[in-house]
Amino acid sequence: MLSKDQSTPVVSVAVYYDVGSRNEKEGRTGFAHLFEHMMFQGSENVPKAAHFQHIFNAGGTMNGTTSTERTNYFETLPANYLPLALWLESDRMRSLKVTQENLDNQRNAVQEEKRLRYDNQPYINAFLRINELIFKNPANAHSTIGSMEDLDAATIDDVREFFRVFYAPNNAVLTIVGDFDEQEARSLVEKYFDEIPSQPDPPPVDVSEPGEVARTQETFYDKLAPAPAFVLGWKIPARRTPDYYALTLAGELLFEGDSSRLYQKLVKGDESVVSIQGGVDERRGPSAWYIFALPKPGEEVAVIRDQIFDEIQRLGASGPSKAEMEKLRNSLCNDAVRGRQSTMYRAQRIAEYALYDGDPHLIDSELDQYLRITANDIKGAVKRFLDVENRVVLDIIPAAMVDDEAHMPRAASPQPPGDSKQPTSPASQIPTPAPGPGAVSGADKNTLTPAPAQPADTTNQTDTGSDLLHQ
Amino acid sequence: MTPQQSFRHQAPAPSPPRPIHIPRASETTLPNGLAVVIVEDSRLPLVSYRLAFRAGDAHDPPELPGLTDLVTGLLTEGTESLTSLQIADEVGRMGATLSSGANSDYTTVGASSLATFSDNILDLVADVTRNPSFPENEVELIKQNTKESLRQQRAQPSFLATEMVSRIVFGKHPYSVIAPTLESLDATTRERLVKFHRSKFLPNNAVFVIAGDVRSDALLKRIESLFGDWQPGELPRDDFPAPPSHVSRSAYLVDRPGSAQSNIVIANTGITRTSGDYFPMLLMHTVLGANASSRLFMNLREEKGYTYGAYSSLDARRTAGTFRASAEVRTPVTGDSLKEFFYELDRIRAEPVSEREIVDAKSFLTGVFPLRLETQEGLIDQLVQIKMFGLPDDYLETYRQQIQAVTIEEVQAVAAKYVRPAEAAIVIVGDGAEILQQVKPYTDAVELYNTAGKRKGKPSSNSDSKGEGDLALIVGDWTLDIQTPFGQNIPAALKIWQTEAGLGGSVASEMGDANIVSAALIGNSFTASLSFEMGGQALDAKIAGEVDGTQMDGSISLQDSPQLPFTGAKAS
Repeated sequence: MLSKDQSTPVVSVAVYYDVGSRNEKEGRTGFAHLFEHMMFQGSENVPKAAHFQHIFNAGGTMNGTTSTERTNYFETLPANYLPLALWLESDRMRSLKVTQENLDNQRNAVQEEKRLRYDNQPYINAFLRINELIFKNPANAHSTIGSMEDLDAATIDDVREFFRVFYAPNNAVLTIVGDFDEQEARSLVEKYFDEIPSQPDPPPVDVSEPGEVARTQETFYDKLAPAPAFVLGWKIPARRTPDYYALTLAGELLFEGDSSRLYQKLVKGDESVVSIQGGVDERRGPSAWYIFALPKPGEEVAVIRDQIFDEIQRLGASGPSKAEMEKLRNSLCNDAVRGRQSTMYRAQRIAEYALYDGDPHLIDSELDQYLRITANDIKGAVKRFLDVENRVVLDIIPAAMVDDEAHMPRAASPQPPGDSKQPTSPASQIPTPAPGPGAVSGADKNTLTPAPAQPADTTNQTDTGSDLLHQ
Repeated sequence: MTPQQSFRHQAPAPSPPRPIHIPRASETTLPNGLAVVIVEDSRLPLVSYRLAFRAGDAHDPPELPGLTDLVTGLLTEGTESLTSLQIADEVGRMGATLSSGANSDYTTVGASSLATFSDNILDLVADVTRNPSFPENEVELIKQNTKESLRQQRAQPSFLATEMVSRIVFGKHPYSVIAPTLESLDATTRERLVKFHRSKFLPNNAVFVIAGDVRSDALLKRIESLFGDWQPGELPRDDFPAPPSHVSRSAYLVDRPGSAQSNIVIANTGITRTSGDYFPMLLMHTVLGANASSRLFMNLREEKGYTYGAYSSLDARRTAGTFRASAEVRTPVTGDSLKEFFYELDRIRAEPVSEREIVDAKSFLTGVFPLRLETQEGLIDQLVQIKMFGLPDDYLETYRQQIQAVTIEEVQAVAAKYVRPAEAAIVIVGDGAEILQQVKPYTDAVELYNTAGKRKGKPSSNSDSKGEGDLALIVGDWTLDIQTPFGQNIPAALKIWQTEAGLGGSVASEMGDANIVSAALIGNSFTASLSFEMGGQALDAKIAGEVDGTQMDGSISLQDSPQLPFTGAKAS
């Protein structure tokens, strides 16, 4: 897919492979992401580490990420370096080189990523646990980061086999967005990718789920959590269905921003909760809808939960108000337009729509499908899917507060996405204060809320999952 | 590979570079001193605003750290004419954003919306900036919630590391404080907030940057009518004490029992943002650790596999700065990682960077520069920084020339001047018992802290645990009384003896017997890690205690289990 825009002399290239953690075999959780790291370890004409160097020396930025649904690789470069990007992407698609030494090295890097972003962070591992409770099918239930044991078990033969099965041109899409000459771009793509042979289609993946979650409640003992919290989760229909759209919008009304119902009720009104957040895990198969709340110490957690259920039920009974529908419309338009400023954002969305839906033009038309959702649609979807009888409750209890040793689970330790990270680009070296969407902290400050309430792979808004670089 | 594919052997040459367009900004200053910078950009029907003041957290009164953050947090919680809820609803209705925040040097109020709402959102920016009412109930609420967020921050190793680095490197300079305290929150009153807002939010200390689908003349008129009668005042001063000089290397360990990694930061004072050494420093930092092909990353991750990422950081602010190298590494390689860090820090000082490296670093910096101007938010960031730090007006236009002009000699000169491993602070947040011995080869001066930021162990003239006098404190037979959460206490016998390498010992209790794998005493803080045999399985455990004569208070924790407090007594 080519999408031309000459307003800035930059070009963004994205390659999406139709393989994610949902394709992983039993005993190899985390492998799709480990493999993503191997894609930077060298190919026939590009030695280990040369990929980084080529991109950076050209004045570009790059990364790779893995989610349940797909693995992506992308770079933004000064426009005249388009040939370089296509050379690099094609060389690893056709001729990845793997060595035991590089596999061991990246296994170490990935295990440190797991420690950094999950095992050394309060609350984060609870989000991995709630997915195991929402989803019954192992393909859906396990995390993209995987388990230490499975990462240890990965072999070089696994890498070779995975490459053969999933990393073929017929299992991938390529998008180029930005300042290029159309004829030149076309012939470059043909030059670099035409001769890469197809492979038999990968085996189909079964992500089907029984509809119900049933009423489930569990306690998660968190060694690093300084205070109790809880996560609520529901299983919802797949992306691009009217119910999915409606439930995404319901989430916006319930927990997005200072005007949302739950923020106004619990953080402002009752002052019983320090922070409330939510999100939707967008998938091609059954998806998930979450709420995370951090109650104030001393508050009755069960009461707060009931108030959340009540508010959801109220939305299911009466639907959104007129004013709320206006708010949704404006916020959908604002987000759709604002995202488009970046060529990389467009390259990624187009690639997703092409890969998942076979229709890259959805980047233009999906907004209309959201705008067509009525107050009644939202009301109905909330009533049908966000039922109290059909949700998971995961209570997070600081392990230090446990009063009965018999309840202590083995192997539940948390770690953080270290957010006062060293900046990796000169732009971020300078402390930048709050304004603008999303930004809330200066250089030497952490955000107000606890750890990001959701690990990267439970939200699709930021489209990360596990990635190659933490930046 | 077939012969006709020889084009694949080498990276293709780029096509001719395309000219870079630096967006043109027009600037006006109102009679009251407010500078207004407008960039017309009609590519998309959007507008972004940022009003920035040259006063930040560094200007908090010393007894009230966090005051600026409380003020910014409260701007959107009520004005003379709107309640908190009305503001939230109006912003929500437009699908817009409105927020306020501060860093150590400046404070901003920012907003963004569809162009249709550009006037409405601008009115709100003016109202929350000029007329916040600081309602009592909102003041109370933000104080409570900030206390909770302090508690949450202390659970994050990155916060603990940054807190300790700032404290050590900046000393009496206000950059040393990165968070409020429970005391400062309790002491903050509404009156204080009102007064502080009035003294710091001044038009003659501010710049208003707007980018988007707007018409300059109409916008300027509206800004004049909203901000024109705003009275100027006396500017806050930047008369801060200088950061201290350190003459030798010291380590500061923040003991976080059960930590899955060691967060390592090696830091010393650096440069201000307007220093003449800024561009050579930027090049040096790029070669050493700015990205995934820099030396630190290539060494500690790609070669050694110690970490997910190792980077340097050039933290250059208005009145002081730091230079840092950091990584989060698995606990057993903490010492090995320090070895590689110091190898790289020494090397960049001692040897000139190669021609290849400086050329690559220059192309990286000049190439990524325009990417930052791609969005309205990115462009505004740059323009605000120029104004807040007092950078030249042609900063964006000349940025790439400045980069290109740096020489290898200048890079080496700034490395020798600002990378100072012999005087650096090594800050490590991690499992104290596991890392103490690993740090010893790199410095004898080690201070131990808990996660509350309190020093553990009395500072002593001889804090080296090899000192005979110190070891006598702990060596001997101890009886521990371990309190379990379900009421009953478990007795345990702890024996500590001196070995050639330091300390050894054992623990015996009804839970099983354990050998001490490593142990250390700093001042009067004792830490040890143990290996337990339990049901044929080896389990790790930790002990941390404070020795006071023949008494000891502390805690013991088994792998994946909560800490159990104990009291101990030493047999005479």
